[in-house]
Amino acid sequence: MSEKTILVADDESHILHVVSLKLRNAGFRVLTARDGQEALEMAQANHPDLLITDYHMPQLSGLELCQRLKQDETTSGIPAIMLTARGYHLEPHDTEESGILRMLSKPFSPRHLLSTVNEVLEGKAA
Amino acid sequence: MMLQTLPVSSAKSIAPAIPVSVLDNLAARFRPGGLCLLMLNPDGTLVYHDSAAGLFFQRFCVPMVQYPDVSAHLGDHVGRMTANSTVDVWNSLPGVVIAAFPYVEKRKLAGIMLLAAKGCTFRLGEEVLRVCSRLGIDGIWLNQQAEELPIYGDEAIQRQSRLLLGMIRDQVRLAGLEGELDSLSGQLANTYEELSLIYQLSSGMRINRRSQDFFKQACLDVMEVMGVRGMGVAIRHAEKPTPEPVLYGSMSLPPGKVHRLSDELMQALSGRKSPLLVNNLVGDKTFGWLSDYAKQLIAVPLQREDEVLGCLFGIDKLVGEFDSVDSKLLNSIANESAIYLENVMLFDDVHGLMMGLLHSLTSAVDAKDAYTCGHSERVALLSRHLAQEIKLSEHDVERIYMAGLLHDVGKIGVPEAVLQKTGKLTAEEFEQMKKHPEIGARILHDIKQVKDILPGVLHHHERYDGKGYPAGIAGENIPQMGRIICLADCFDAMTSNRTYRKALPLEVALSEIRRCSGTQFDPGLTEAFLRTGCDGFRELLRDWEHQTARLADLQMTLRTL
Repeated sequence: MSEKTILVADDESHILHVVSLKLRNAGFRVLTARDGQEALEMAQANHPDLLITDYHMPQLSGLELCQRLKQDETTSGIPAIMLTARGYHLEPHDTEESGILRMLSKPFSPRHLLSTVNEVLEGKAA
Repeated sequence: MMLQTLPVSSAKSIAPAIPVSVLDNLAARFRPGGLCLLMLNPDGTLVYHDSAAGLFFQRFCVPMVQYPDVSAHLGDHVGRMTANSTVDVWNSLPGVVIAAFPYVEKRKLAGIMLLAAKGCTFRLGEEVLRVCSRLGIDGIWLNQQAEELPIYGDEAIQRQSRLLLGMIRDQVRLAGLEGELDSLSGQLANTYEELSLIYQLSSGMRINRRSQDFFKQACLDVMEVMGVRGMGVAIRHAEKPTPEPVLYGSMSLPPGKVHRLSDELMQALSGRKSPLLVNNLVGDKTFGWLSDYAKQLIAVPLQREDEVLGCLFGIDKLVGEFDSVDSKLLNSIANESAIYLENVMLFDDVHGLMMGLLHSLTSAVDAKDAYTCGHSERVALLSRHLAQEIKLSEHDVERIYMAGLLHDVGKIGVPEAVLQKTGKLTAEEFEQMKKHPEIGARILHDIKQVKDILPGVLHHHERYDGKGYPAGIAGENIPQMGRIICLADCFDAMTSNRTYRKALPLEVALSEIRRCSGTQFDPGLTEAFLRTGCDGFRELLRDWEHQTARLADLQMTLRTL
C-alpha cells in the first residue's frame, strides 16, 4: 500500500504539530495549512487522500473549505474530518453535502483521531 | 592505482545532529563560489564531501584528503584540532587551500569541517604533477578543469568558512529546535489525551448516578487510552473493613486473588503520594505472587487529604512498559475520581442525615398519638406504591414518598387532648384538627430541600368533589401529590387500629375506597390503587415491617450521634 497523504488545516499551530506528529509516526505523509485558503490551494495542488480541518479558521472556514472542495471535480472525492469546539454541532445536511464524514470536538484524543483517520481511509478503500 | 570513484558514506546522519541533507544544502550554497565542502571524523577519515562538486574536486582534491598516502599528510593539522580551535587554514596539500574548523556537539569535537578551493600554489608544479600521476589523471586535463575556478587566498577562504560556521550553527540549532518541537508535540499529545479523558469523566460525574457506574466507565476509558489488559478499582466503604474490588478487561484473575491484590494495594498505597509501578512482577517483594497471572502492575490511591478511600490499578500494558506518562495519566484520573468519590460520600452523609432528621420528625408526631404509631411511614410507602403504579418518574416517586412521610407533621401544632380524644370531636375541636395541613406546610416551608412536597402536605385532605379542606378545591385542581396521599392516608386509617375502633378487614377497606371513588378520591387513582389487590397489600405490609426494623436501627444510630 502506498503512503497516504493527509492534509491538516488549523490556525492553531499546536494542533497542527500534535496532529502531524501523530500522523507522521503512524506512517502518513502530512501536509499542513494554517488557514482555509492555503488548505484549498494545497488540496488542489496535491490531492490528498484525506482532509482534517478545523471549523473556525480565518478567511475560509472549515465548512466553506469542504464545500469548495466538493464543488471542484478534481477534489470532490476527498473525505474530511472536522474538528470543532466542544458543544458545536453542524447541521446534518451541511456535513452530508460537504464530504464531512466525521466530527471530533476539541479537546480531542489524538489516539481517537488516529483511529478515526484509519476508519475513514478504510471505508473509502472499501 | 586508479581512484575513479569514491565510496560515499551511506549513513543518513554523520554526526548525531547533522543530517546529510543539511550538509548537501550547505555545500550547494558554496559550490557556485568554487568551494567544496568536506567533513572529517575527529580521527581524520573523510565522512562527507560535496558529491556534486566539479571534477577538479572530485578527482583531485577529495582523493588527496581521502587517501593520506597520495600526498602530504593532513595528520598534523587534524591532530592539532580541538573543540576550541578557531578557523585554521591548511596549506599542506599541493594546489589546494583548505579552511578547517571544529564541528562541536555537546562540547566535544564531533568532526572537522573543511572548505576547499583552488589555492595560489596550483601552477602545475612538481608536487601537483606527482599527485596527478599517483591518481592516474592527466595534468593538462586537470588544468583545464581548474581553469574556471577562482583562486582563494588564506584570508578569503577564512571569511567564507566563518560564514559556513555560522550557517552550521544555525542549522544545528534548527535541527535541535525541530527535535524539541516534536518532543513537545508528543507531550502535548499526551496532555490532549489526558484532557479529553478527564473531560469525558467529568461529564459523567453526576452525583445521582451510581458510583459503580462512574468507576466502571473510568476503568474502561483508561484501559483503552493507556492500552492495558485489565483495569480495576477498589473503594473502601464505611461499613466494611476491606474494600470490594472490581476488575474489568480481559484478565482472568480468580476473585480471591483480586481481593488479595486490592487489600495489599491499599496497604502499599497508604501514605504514598506517587503511583506504584512494577514493571517486572517476577520476584517482586510484595506482588511477586501475581506474576502467575500478570507481568506488570500500576496503581494509584484515591485519597481525601491523607485518608486512602480506595485505589485504581492497571495490569499488563499491551505494548511496552508502564512509564511516567502512564503514571501521570492515572494520577490525574485518580485525583478527579477522588473528588467525585468525596462528593458522593458527602452527599450520602448529608442525604442520610436529612432523611434521619425527617424520620425523627415524623416519629415525634406519631409519638404524640400513640395509636397512630407508624402511620406516616405506612402512608409514605403506600403513596410510593401508588406513584409507581401510575408510572411516575423515579424522582417524583421519591418526592411523593417524602411527602407521605411528612404529611401529618402539622399535628405537632394540634393539642394532644384533641389528637388523643376517643369520643366524637366537637365542632371547635374539629376546626383545630383541620388546621394540621396548613401548620405542616408552614413548619416545612423553610426547608429548601422539601419545598416541592408542600402541595402534598397542604392538600392531603382535599376531596375530589371539592368538599375537603383547607382550600376546598376539586378534581384536577388538587395537586396530584395531595390526591395520592389522601387515598393512602384514608386507606391506612381504615386498616389500622384506632382509639375508637378496631382495624377494618382489608376487603372492607378496599370496597369503601371503591365506594368513595369520584366523591372523595380521584377515580383514576382509585382504579390504579385497587389494581394492587389484597395480596399486593399483604406484601406491602411485609415491606412495612421490614422498614420498621430499619427505622429502629436508624433511630438507634441517631441516638448515638
